Amino acid sequence: MMQLRYLLLCAVLAFSPLVASANPNPEPDHTKIPEWQVIRSLMFGDREINPDDRDVVRLYLNTRADDAATVPIMINGQIDQTANDYIKKLYVIVDGNPIPTAGIFHFTPESGRVKMETRLRFEKYSFVRAVAELNDGRLYMSQRWVKAAGGCSAPMGKNVSAASMGKMRFRMDDAVAYDQPQLVQLQVRHPNESALASDLDPDHVPQFIRSVEVNYNDKPVMSGEVNFSLSDNPVFRFYFVPRAAGQLNVKVEDTHDSVFTQSMEISEGESTETR
Amino acid sequence: MRVWSKVRLVLSALLAALIGLAGPAHGDGSVQTGPIDNNEARETRALALEMIAPGNYVHYGVHEDRSRENLGDQANIGFVVGERCVLVFDGGGSFAVGRALLNAIRTTTNKPICYVVISHVHPDHIFGVAALTGDDPVIIGHENLARQLAARGKFYRDALERDLGEAASGSDIVGPTKTVAAGETITVDLGGREVDIRAWPPAHTDHDVTIFDRASSTLWLADLLFVDHTPVLDSNITGFLAVMQTLRATEARHYVPGHGRSNAAWPAVMDAQQHYFEVILKETRRAIRDNVRLMDAVNQVGLSEAGQWVNFETYHRRNVTTAYTELEWE
Repeated sequence: MMQLRYLLLCAVLAFSPLVASANPNPEPDHTKIPEWQVIRSLMFGDREINPDDRDVVRLYLNTRADDAATVPIMINGQIDQTANDYIKKLYVIVDGNPIPTAGIFHFTPESGRVKMETRLRFEKYSFVRAVAELNDGRLYMSQRWVKAAGGCSAPMGKNVSAASMGKMRFRMDDAVAYDQPQLVQLQVRHPNESALASDLDPDHVPQFIRSVEVNYNDKPVMSGEVNFSLSDNPVFRFYFVPRAAGQLNVKVEDTHDSVFTQSMEISEGESTETR
Repeated sequence: MRVWSKVRLVLSALLAALIGLAGPAHGDGSVQTGPIDNNEARETRALALEMIAPGNYVHYGVHEDRSRENLGDQANIGFVVGERCVLVFDGGGSFAVGRALLNAIRTTTNKPICYVVISHVHPDHIFGVAALTGDDPVIIGHENLARQLAARGKFYRDALERDLGEAASGSDIVGPTKTVAAGETITVDLGGREVDIRAWPPAHTDHDVTIFDRASSTLWLADLLFVDHTPVLDSNITGFLAVMQTLRATEARHYVPGHGRSNAAWPAVMDAQQHYFEVILKETRRAIRDNVRLMDAVNQVGLSEAGQWVNFETYHRRNVTTAYTELEWE
């Protein structure tokens, strides 16, 4: 269903006349972007965004991006994840990309803290938006104007060999403390092929990651539906709260139905990484 | 045509080259007209050349962003003349530059062009090749070049059109008709002059090619050597350092960088670039070890090098990004 919606969105955008601006450099009014108006209506309907001035989500990045295919972003939830009040979903949207919804990430109170980092491709100068949906359905958005272009149509510079495809690494630098949010980094070896860059063989279905799921002792801590708006060899940094020793598991699936898994044992007082 | 008028033609062509291509942008920012829009000038303009060794002619590009004034004349390009024919190394950043290179070749020799070697896919090196195919030369590139041309060609062509407008016309992508495998060297004979064409493992790009004129011991490095211009990393930093180490063993009496020029001796001329990459390598590895995220690393790594290079702001942080995303998998 979700994928159908993406395709529909792509089709709408492909045929909608875009307002050509003579000089794309100055930051436009973010509410008046034609692509965003379509995305907003399809994804959120009439629901109000930023219904009050509560500080829920903030977006950080270097807005003058040096490599449009690798733009690191950090999204910080400004509220504590509690059982009654938490960020349930985070929509990461790049208005100007062929699939504007770069990722929809799901969190729980067990996530401890919503502080999410990843890297994005930008096809043209565009707003990137983080829309946080709270458990009660309210929506809050933060957006930044990014000057970077060609990140989706730019070819993949690095080649990922079949042997290393899907290789994953976890990394936790600090000694683990139970009952507190712990930062973990996940790296995935994957070309995350862009549909725009796959111009060699028209019969080739671009191979990109469509989902990532991280559990701790079988309880979900972070998951997301993603696509080629993420850079190649995607990296995720996020938090979770371990209550006891256990196992952190990740499962990644791509558009060729390949499934990759990795796990890491965690116990108090130790920093740890998998190679 | 009488000799005198021929000389005048050459002189005016060289003059046009000086104003039209090598000349500095107007201080008031006005658009320079004249040579660019003048068809006659376009047909006859010839690039400024320097013979740096017997039979080896170099045109030095400018350290500027591509513009309608410089027409993408950024890379150092040139040719080697044998008794039988000419080998061209890179075509420059647009058909117009390639055409002006062709005119310059014609003022130098009437021998046909039998080989065009494409050093790598970057737009400042490839778009002039289309102007150099009239003698039906063998087009030589790395085994990975065709794949990269297919992947990047349209993207680069669109960007060229955006920057140069009508002046981009004719700048078609020309692919190799003969390829060289990574790590291999082939030798071609221009008539009494043998030139080695060597394809490298991933360094600046994953398909770098250099040439070496045996007769004069002249090494043409393209973007495996930057002088003054910030070195650019588009593939593999550890590979680039390894390739530079191998290159040092070449007993060259003359050399041609891909960008910039120098009177320094070979291989000492590579020291600055090597230092730059060693600093990036060391500081990026440290950033990764200390869990400094990429977003912050690009603003910390290698800043001590800022005063050493032209175009540092344009290329440096991108280089750090490339190095970081490679080294985080070590």
